Amino acid sequence: MAGSYDRALTVFSPDGHLFQVDYAVEAVRKGSCVVGVRGSDVVVLGVEKKSVMKLQDERTVKKICMLDDHVCLAFAGLSADARVLVNKARIECQSHRLTVEDAVSIEYITRYIAGVQQKYTQSGGVRPFGISTLIIGFDSDKVPKLYQTDPSGVYSAWKANAIGRSSKTVREFLEKNYKEEMDRAESIKLAIRSLLEVVQTGAKNIEIAIMGTDSVIQRLELAEIEKVVAEIEAENEKEKEKSKPSTSQ
Amino acid sequence: MDTLFGITGKDFVITAYDSKAVASITLMKIGEDKSRELNSHALMLFSGEPGDGVHFSEYVERNIKLYGIRNGIELSPRAVASFARRELADSLRSRKPYSVNLLIAGFDVKTNKPALYWLDHLASLADVPFAAHGYGAYYCLSLLDRYHREDITEEEGIKLLDKCIKELRSRMILNMPDFVAKIVNKDGIRLVQLGGN
Amino acid sequence: MSRRYDARTTIFSPEGRLYQVEYAMEAISHASTALGILAKDGLVIAAEKKVASKLLDETQGGEKIYIINDNMICGVAGFTSDANILINYAQTAAQQYLYTYNEDMPCEQLVQKLCDLKQGYTQYGGLRPFGVSFIYGGWDEHFGFQLYHSDPSGNYAGWKATCIGANTASAQGILRQEYKEEGVTLQEAKNLAIKVLSKTMDTTSLGSDKIEFATLEHKDGRVVRRVFNQAEIEALLKENNLLTKTEEAK
Repeated sequence: MAGSYDRALTVFSPDGHLFQVDYAVEAVRKGSCVVGVRGSDVVVLGVEKKSVMKLQDERTVKKICMLDDHVCLAFAGLSADARVLVNKARIECQSHRLTVEDAVSIEYITRYIAGVQQKYTQSGGVRPFGISTLIIGFDSDKVPKLYQTDPSGVYSAWKANAIGRSSKTVREFLEKNYKEEMDRAESIKLAIRSLLEVVQTGAKNIEIAIMGTDSVIQRLELAEIEKVVAEIEAENEKEKEKSKPSTSQ
Repeated sequence: MDTLFGITGKDFVITAYDSKAVASITLMKIGEDKSRELNSHALMLFSGEPGDGVHFSEYVERNIKLYGIRNGIELSPRAVASFARRELADSLRSRKPYSVNLLIAGFDVKTNKPALYWLDHLASLADVPFAAHGYGAYYCLSLLDRYHREDITEEEGIKLLDKCIKELRSRMILNMPDFVAKIVNKDGIRLVQLGGN
Repeated sequence: MSRRYDARTTIFSPEGRLYQVEYAMEAISHASTALGILAKDGLVIAAEKKVASKLLDETQGGEKIYIINDNMICGVAGFTSDANILINYAQTAAQQYLYTYNEDMPCEQLVQKLCDLKQGYTQYGGLRPFGVSFIYGGWDEHFGFQLYHSDPSGNYAGWKATCIGANTASAQGILRQEYKEEGVTLQEAKNLAIKVLSKTMDTTSLGSDKIEFATLEHKDGRVVRRVFNQAEIEALLKENNLLTKTEEAK
């Protein structure tokens, strides 16, 4: 074991697995749930927010962060890892502007982040990043973008997706309920509705960030989220009412 | 040949630069931008070696922007000026130093005060009520000295700039085409129209 | 089986955990307590000192509370040797910032800077994580008085009052109970800090030689740090009627 720190920690197992990457994915699965939903002219990020302890300062808990004026990222997994990765991405955003006088495209910065994550699965003496990310934003074409990266360094574009705790359940829910060409309100509602699948405590543990074609990020106040949650609950009640008589017949 | 001006008032800084691009003794272009907005309340004007000015100011601009995104707070004009000075001072001691003169105009939203910094190509920094770089300085500093007050209004500031530009045009042997003026105040940075051209 | 994954720091266990980091935190939960309390007009950092010998020369300063720069102090729990390295790093970083921007470093940035270093030690090979937690107290023009906590994983968070080291659970309990929703004054914070220490320390006799104590407040537009000496701590204990009989007899 001695002197092995310069060796790759992530190596193939005889059956072709990269165990360290698989285990990093496990760390992501422990993280709080994040969903992303793409509408016709809007992208929404929804985050399961852990309740802060009574004496804790809420300002310092940052699950959704800006990479540049027009790109926003949310993560699931180890937050210290995320901070470091986000920092790298932020530098790349400005460096890109400095070199080519253009803002990064959402795909470019996603590919960059995934590239860094990939490097940490192959380089000597490092472990992979224990995070998955959802990246949203608008390029100059005004089309909403939603990308995902994971610890292996894979990245992909989505209409709607979830990462973190119970992401499978939420993704299945999104698959069932996603509609093309949703407007702003519908997209927000779908994001909240899907989060409610895993967040039992309701609005106070949900954080929502919305980006429109102007690329300005807007965070919903608790009261606004509560309103949507109430709407959803009312609709669910109605559904139940409707289905009751049919089952009794 | 470039001329830069900066004048602080009660709650604003007004700046101006001549918009000509020159090669040797030939005027190549009018409408050159010799300023960069570093953040919402800090503006940098540059003169000197043409490429160096653009390169250096954009480098500073990107670093200030990165600071804002990373930390969620903006640097004060004083911090911006100190950062620029440090970068220039370090470059001066490198193999290929930048050769730029700078004015940094800002508005400190924390203290609600305007700020103007004069920075030359040897990286000496001064906090000043008014400033000029280039030949304009020789003709106009005396004017500014005579007419500048700490509490001038925006209109008075614009008038004073006009006075300086008029002086330049009547005294200098060179053609002094359009100046571009920008104001920094609590609301941010905006272009202003100069009067009596 | 799990031994395969806890021998080297930078390895995930099959459940996605970093054992070395968890063990480092375990080490800290045996270290002597340090706590911080944020007040409306200042803040307190206090700590229990384990090594108390009459022969120890006090002039060199304590080993639980350190000064980072003009407007920041911090308390540590864990390996003092590791803490020394990180404190030195923080002090240098603070001056580096001052050198670049001609302004004092905002508190959160300093905490983040230190945490980025700590995170690096959990990801790069051949290194063990730092075995220390910190409580930072500071003031800056952006957010006023602030209190932060950071641990070996490189995570940090802001707090109104918190505690690191041994007996954290009971100390946190007292803090939760006694800390007023609307905030406390510096005087109240000082008394509360002493109270928490008196209830959580393992020893029965609470003496000035077993405590380190520091405050930060604002006076005449400047931040004033105050690291208490033995006599001042004694006075503080007396105020709170906590001086033990033996000490009073002296």
